[in-house]
Amino acid sequence: MTASVPTVQPDGGAGRPPSRRLGGALGAWLRNGEPIRWLGLGGALIPLLMLVFVLITLIVKAIPAVEFSGWHLFSGTTWNFGSQYGTPVRSNGIVHESGEVFGALPEILGTLATTAIALIIGVPVAIGAALVIVERLPRRLANIVGMFLELLAGVPSVIVGLWGALTFGPFIAHHIAPILSNNLPDWSWLGFARGNTGNGQGLLTSGLVLAVMILPIIAATARDLIRGVPILPREGAIALGMSDWETARKVTLPWVGTGLIGAIFLGLGRAVGETIAVAMVCGVALGSLPTNLYAAMITISANIVQNIDTAILDKMDVSAFAALGLILLVLTLLANVIARMLVRRVSGTALPVGRGL
Amino acid sequence: MAKKIRLMYTAAALVPLTVLAAACGSSSPAKSSSGTSAPPASASGKSISETGSTLLFPLFGSWQNAYSAANTSVTITSGSTGSGTGIADAANGLVNIGASDAYLSSSDMTQYPNLINIPLTVAAVMVNYNVPTVKKPINLNGTVLAQIYTGKITKWNDSAIAALNKGVTLPSIPIVTLHRADSSGSTFLFTSYLSAQDPSAWSASNVGTTITWPSAPGALAETGSGGMVSGCGATKGCIAYIGISYLAKTQAASLGEASLANKAGSFTQATPAAITAALGSFPAVPASGGESLINTSAAAGYPIINYEYAVVDKKQASAAEATAVKAFLNWIITNGDSSTYLTAVGFEPLPSGTSSVSTSLINSISG
Repeated sequence: MTASVPTVQPDGGAGRPPSRRLGGALGAWLRNGEPIRWLGLGGALIPLLMLVFVLITLIVKAIPAVEFSGWHLFSGTTWNFGSQYGTPVRSNGIVHESGEVFGALPEILGTLATTAIALIIGVPVAIGAALVIVERLPRRLANIVGMFLELLAGVPSVIVGLWGALTFGPFIAHHIAPILSNNLPDWSWLGFARGNTGNGQGLLTSGLVLAVMILPIIAATARDLIRGVPILPREGAIALGMSDWETARKVTLPWVGTGLIGAIFLGLGRAVGETIAVAMVCGVALGSLPTNLYAAMITISANIVQNIDTAILDKMDVSAFAALGLILLVLTLLANVIARMLVRRVSGTALPVGRGL
Repeated sequence: MAKKIRLMYTAAALVPLTVLAAACGSSSPAKSSSGTSAPPASASGKSISETGSTLLFPLFGSWQNAYSAANTSVTITSGSTGSGTGIADAANGLVNIGASDAYLSSSDMTQYPNLINIPLTVAAVMVNYNVPTVKKPINLNGTVLAQIYTGKITKWNDSAIAALNKGVTLPSIPIVTLHRADSSGSTFLFTSYLSAQDPSAWSASNVGTTITWPSAPGALAETGSGGMVSGCGATKGCIAYIGISYLAKTQAASLGEASLANKAGSFTQATPAAITAALGSFPAVPASGGESLINTSAAAGYPIINYEYAVVDKKQASAAEATAVKAFLNWIITNGDSSTYLTAVGFEPLPSGTSSVSTSLINSISG
């Protein structure tokens, strides 16, 4: 290191005044580390400012669509971007394109339903994986499995989406959906899982693809939490004759219970906000509530990403997207805040950051 | 030691500043020497940017290559973003040319009074299907297509389809409708045709680049024209609407192309002759350049064709930019609008009347 910068004298050039070397007061200012301090302050403020800026922009942009649609925005099931070649019409005192209607209920429900399926499938698998990694596997094998878990978290969502659209979706349509639909017991509350098995684009595929994406986040967090459970209570449980399963259920998991809920919320935040993978497998059925588990549906983010080219020319359409964005942002922010509070309460350590790809 | 580290940090912080200063400093000498050697494009203003229609994009790419090869001082960038984005980018001054499958609406014109739409070439949208047992083109009209896309007709051997195809043995396989998942000019043209043919079967309010599709059983949403081709190729019994530039790909995927009914009631495929015949049936294009070419009344004409437009701001940022854009657009409607470039994508050149409207629109661009 020192050899490569021979011009810097070992004593820092103490023999000469700084003014001669770097240019007077500026030199002193630079040498005192002031630029770094200011850069640091700026860097620290930027994330905060970005969030505030995004929030304000969304709120301001969303106002016209909210005024136009009112509660229908949340309760309506029809979504129409309107006809750009029709004569503009006036309703609620606002001039807009003819036919324009914004009812986001299918999208909001679609977002929540895919997230629910992802959690129902993903959470048991993730917690089971975390338990096995910490308690059953030999240290070396556990490290390898843990490494793959973290690699899975890093798979770009478009890759998962491609896999879902080209391989997994058709597999579900041909092999899983018919079996489910035909063999489920004839209970009325399972009616939602029967009927037309669709073509692989829809609620079930979206939920399962999301499950794959949130699994590593929940599992990695749960693993770190379970690692933090002291050995004594567990040994005590085993000494009392509890089986491994009983120890896990009655000692280990309750010990980190709040943190686990936090980990689940972290996965929830990811699932709610996930865009591209879901847009590729959900079927983008604008304005239709899924009729069953296999039907094409739509989520908030899928609508925005697939239809921005239609919306971009009309201010009211853009405003409706801003309103959708606001709903999505509030949902994900809530999930993340709750997650962070709960996990920190248990572990006191930083979280493995949920990747917002 | 601490001092040394601090010095290193300061140096590191200064590096970007130095680079920035160097970059700023170097731009002025480049400008002064531009007369002698080949100048950087940005400095001389000979850089043209385009975004927009995915249907036009392959053709625009071949125009771009040929024009840049002949005019080495001009740099052209293009992007396949979708027509809506192209128009918005042109309106906001982000690009020189926004390519669009659809002409500007009157509300676009009032909102952006400086925007003009210049017809560049003629494209078409096909209706394709995957029914391997039928070798002859299947005849379809707007009413039947609307009933297929609303889920009222679900089998290929439905009596309504059979009535249009006397003497053809249609298989009893389910119809799977494919539609675009993303915003698309093809969707706009296809739904325009359905509504023009039978407004009672397909409402005029359900025409657009993104529409609310009725829930036909098994309906598939595909992203991009490529997705339509591969999705249809993989799905027996499918039906899809696909831009003519994908003709070769639909043939490679063994998809059939339907003969569509026009206003005169005869059935045609999107051949060059049928497109030209359809063009002849419409009144001369207005001075604004915007005209719908759906549902021709010519018996030999193909019913789903459209002008591909360059949407341009009449008032370009500088005189140099205006000159470069005008030269390029003029080249497109003269040299570019010929079989050399059009045959590969199945497009047709502008009729001479439209071509002269385009020329006067191009000449209205200034700096």
